[in-house]
Amino acid sequence: MKKIARRDKMKIYNDLLSILQSENNNEVVLTQLQLKLNVPFDRLKQYLIQLRELGLIEDETSPKLTKKGKQYIHEYQNVLDFMKRMGLEYR
Amino acid sequence: MYEEIRIAIEVVSAIMCFILLRFMIKPYEITGESRYIGLPAGFGFLGATYVVSAFVYYMESQMALFPLLKIFYIQLIARTFAFLFISITYYFSKKPTEKSRLIWKITLTLLIALLITSLLIVSIPDVTLYSYRIARNIFRVTNLIIILYICIHTFRSHIKKPDPKTILIPLAYIILLVSQYSALFYQLDGSLSAFFAVLILRLVFLSVFLLVSFEAFYRGKKEA
Repeated sequence: MKKIARRDKMKIYNDLLSILQSENNNEVVLTQLQLKLNVPFDRLKQYLIQLRELGLIEDETSPKLTKKGKQYIHEYQNVLDFMKRMGLEYR
Repeated sequence: MYEEIRIAIEVVSAIMCFILLRFMIKPYEITGESRYIGLPAGFGFLGATYVVSAFVYYMESQMALFPLLKIFYIQLIARTFAFLFISITYYFSKKPTEKSRLIWKITLTLLIALLITSLLIVSIPDVTLYSYRIARNIFRVTNLIIILYICIHTFRSHIKKPDPKTILIPLAYIILLVSQYSALFYQLDGSLSAFFAVLILRLVFLSVFLLVSFEAFYRGKKEA
């Protein structure tokens, strides 16, 4: 059986924000978000609270990406690209 | 004349290293993984050794060589540790398990302890020019081995997933390797071509790193 790599918190944050970005700021149902992100619901709620506190999303009950959130996704992708170029592995 | 060129190149190298430090810290900042801290630590140490070199070469013309030997020693040790920090980052970047995280923390602690001990040891006894020359060759050969490991690691990483973007860094490390090899040659025969090769190749190495860093962070920004 193929083992699924464990994601760290930053990767989960990025995945969550990327899902919100792909929704184009439309209202997202939390259960759908949970399915797409593949995390337990209580954990999802914790992540949403943390992201709101960091200013990366607005309103954790109906999350929408903020400007800072968009910047985070962009910066995260840049860092991954940089690490790839540097010959560093990241999982 | 040569000393002035050398001081200028040391200063430029230090500035380049400190600019690179800002980029090298980003993987640690964004992932929160301490195994990436070796990269900024390595480039930080490297930059600091170039500052020390510039200072020593400047002072060499002002005073006798003997009092500067200890500073030369410290610079030798710090530079080798800089390469060690970079190499362990590469080594641990491929093993993100709980066990490897623990080994990483132990390795980092041991390295820092070893660095402090080495610096304390060289600052206590009187250093002779003869012992310094022997130590210098040992450190240079150690640097060559460490950089060779980094070259192999980055090349293997490129071969696993070939991409034109990932070839520049292994090539840059090869340039650094040749530069260190030239340094060893310069110590043996004192040839001017080896002397300039060391400095020019080092600048090329750092320029490639800067180019790659700017491409990764600023070209992406333009495209967004």
